Amino acid sequence: MKNVKRTYEQDMEGDGIHSLQKVIEPRRNEGSCTVKYFLIGVSVLFLFIMLFLPLMVVAANALKEGWRVYKENVLDEYTVKALKLTLLAAVTAVTTNTVFGIFASFLLSKYNFRGRQLLASLIDLPFSISPVIAGLVFILTFGNIGWMGGFLKANHIKIVFAVPGVLLGTIFVTLPFVFRELFPVMNAAGKDEEEAAALMGAGGFTIFRKITFPHIKWALLYGMVLCTARAMGEFGAVSVISGHLRGKTNTLPLQVEILYNEFNTTAAFSVSSILVILAVLILIVKSFVERKRK
Amino acid sequence: MRKRKAVYISALVMGIAVCGTGCNGDSASSGKETMELLNVSYDPTREFYAEYNELFCKYWKEQTGQEITVTQSHGGSGSQARSVIEGNEADVVTLALAHDVTAIEKTGLIHENWMEEYESNSSPYTSTIVFLVRKGNEKNIRDWDDLVKKEVDVITPNPKTSGGACWNFLAAWAYWQEHDEEKEEETKEYMKKMYENVLVLDSGARGATNTFVENGQGDVLIAWENEAYLAMEEYPEQYEIVTPSISILAEPSVAVVDQNAEEHGTTETAEAYLEYLYSDEAQRLAGENYYRPSKGGILQEFSEQFNLEMDLVTINDFGGWDEAFETYFSDGAVFDQIYTE
Amino acid sequence: MYVEMKQINKKFDGFQASSNVSFGVEKGQLAALLGPSGSGKTTILRMIAGLDEPDSGDIMINGRRVNQLPGSRRGIGFVFQNYALFRYMTVADNIAFGLEVQKQDKRTIKRRVEELLELIGMQDLGKRYPHQLSGGQRQRVAFARALAPNPQLLLLDEPFAAIDAKVRRELRTWLKGMIERVGITSIFVTHDQEEALELADLIIVTNCGKVEQIGTPKEICERPESDFVKEFIDTARIWRL
Repeated sequence: MKNVKRTYEQDMEGDGIHSLQKVIEPRRNEGSCTVKYFLIGVSVLFLFIMLFLPLMVVAANALKEGWRVYKENVLDEYTVKALKLTLLAAVTAVTTNTVFGIFASFLLSKYNFRGRQLLASLIDLPFSISPVIAGLVFILTFGNIGWMGGFLKANHIKIVFAVPGVLLGTIFVTLPFVFRELFPVMNAAGKDEEEAAALMGAGGFTIFRKITFPHIKWALLYGMVLCTARAMGEFGAVSVISGHLRGKTNTLPLQVEILYNEFNTTAAFSVSSILVILAVLILIVKSFVERKRK
Repeated sequence: MRKRKAVYISALVMGIAVCGTGCNGDSASSGKETMELLNVSYDPTREFYAEYNELFCKYWKEQTGQEITVTQSHGGSGSQARSVIEGNEADVVTLALAHDVTAIEKTGLIHENWMEEYESNSSPYTSTIVFLVRKGNEKNIRDWDDLVKKEVDVITPNPKTSGGACWNFLAAWAYWQEHDEEKEEETKEYMKKMYENVLVLDSGARGATNTFVENGQGDVLIAWENEAYLAMEEYPEQYEIVTPSISILAEPSVAVVDQNAEEHGTTETAEAYLEYLYSDEAQRLAGENYYRPSKGGILQEFSEQFNLEMDLVTINDFGGWDEAFETYFSDGAVFDQIYTE
Repeated sequence: MYVEMKQINKKFDGFQASSNVSFGVEKGQLAALLGPSGSGKTTILRMIAGLDEPDSGDIMINGRRVNQLPGSRRGIGFVFQNYALFRYMTVADNIAFGLEVQKQDKRTIKRRVEELLELIGMQDLGKRYPHQLSGGQRQRVAFARALAPNPQLLLLDEPFAAIDAKVRRELRTWLKGMIERVGITSIFVTHDQEEALELADLIIVTNCGKVEQIGTPKEICERPESDFVKEFIDTARIWRL
């Protein structure tokens, strides 16, 4: 294709006057077609092997013994309890980390104080730590031999090897997600609008509601979606903290491991399919949010 | 001002969340209506305790009218013991070896002399170590000697984390040592060769079984006898059991975690729970789950199932667990020397 | 004096932004804080607005010492350098904001917004969003928004900095006309000598955090009190010629 010259009439200033603009479009290269198809091919192949194939295996194995057995496995008492715990952990993590994320991004983007950079880096810590280490850290802090152990034991507060531990572990590993989505958006926006509103006498909550929130709406939702997905799939930290108490501190991923260990592969895959379905739901929400963001 | 308030509010919210759920999670089960027991056990006993718990709950209800729920936790014996030490509030522990229970005893959670509490050194059931091979036994594995051959791939778990793996190690050692102290260096060489043939060193007995059975890796699995039988039951016609000429009497130990039980007010029930393991019904249940019942009379009933003529050494031949652990499994001891060289 | 700064000092992390600043602006006057970048003029403006606090000295508005009073209670309208319009609100909502915070009734607000839209000549653009406006239009909206709650003092931070040169001259004249029409005491910050000389009744020349000279444009041009002022104003004169 040759270079193309086009002319447009546009009202640039919004004052009713149209002016002529000339736009030149660049030449398109023939060679780029091969490259394009090659890249698409590689991507599709990669996705097929790493994503599609395993999903098909899960589906095939889950239904290997028929639909009735599948239903039994999915509705099994321990599985249902595990599902409830997973959902509880996800909801708790998302709620806590949303509140935290909003506070932290607001603080770090609108205020200047010493240690600002350090705090921002600290928040990213859960990303860099292996979840298993995180679990261990909780045990060493809140366990019997931990430095808070004596205090907790004396007051009959159970954290590790109980549900609070599972929740805490999940909150920890998903901590940065909402913050990471909100902070760049808030930082780029600067604090001028909030200052202007404050100067006109608006209170903190009004400023947040009318000025900050509309700007971060979609980023917030996106962060929450990512947080949910991560929380549901969490295994390492929770595995260390939970104590594997059947029917009490097992999340869906842990339940899958248990079923697999009991030579019950079909049930393991059936329960895995629940996780897959949840993941797909989250993906759908995510695409919707992404589109709204544009 | 605003930022300080924000920090305070966040901390407050989190604190309430933690304490709220924490205080709710602590149900001091002292009501007469439903009592909860936590049994922290090791890997292969999943199926056995699922059935035993039903049996015991029925029995206890008939005896006392009290409803019981038993929560199970399973994992590698060493890890499970560690979790109890770190705060997993087990009422009873039913672990793979006395050494793990002793580790808990050392922290004061279990009273001294726990081993004398119940018969047979507090081992209501025993097992031994055998080989599980694929049907047809193509590589003709008959005894420990075959495990050091170059073309044989062995699956066994890691003694550092698995109780069962410790028994495996000692059984193999007993074979080559042949009660001869002079043979120590030679034995080490053989053990080294055997561990060099190990394809995958899983962290737990069940993990090793899965690697062998589900993932199809290796030619021979050194396993608890009960695990081997279980695999055969799940996958009939695919595996065979080979009994080596020498093996070890593996005595898994049970104990009430006294401090926890006292706090929960479950001492009486916990003691009865362990006591009932020695009842005829429970002993038969153990046998059906491929554990060797400790009661001689019941054991005889399973003479068709188990090879009762096996040449078995015991942990006492190694000077007891404290000495055995010190010599072979502690940091820098024989296993570390063999495996890292 | 309507607005008075008395011996104001301000340090930012060891940097002396304001040093013994003192000046006064009479009611109805349009004053300019003029100086090169970094001379401390925006700092002064922000302190009057209550966005920053002085380390020492008094800020007086209408005879009252307002140091401890929060900005929103000082009767001030502020026009930010980049307008800081609320991007998720319409033009009308932007202008109405200050009144809504004051909890005025809907009818009063509506009337006032229409009044201001007419004043700035944007009657038909009330439903537009800031990103749909040109630079000049945004500036006019910012002006209207600042005026809406009937402040006694109008502060403008480099109001023409973000406008392209073509439109700047028109807007300057328009702004001066507006301010005179409304009759409100105003202080604006600029580094453009021509602008200050053309618009202001009173010029306060700043340099390195200090006040170099205070006077009418005529006084500044004809009787510069320091070398700095002389050179600074000379530059403007050269351009003018």
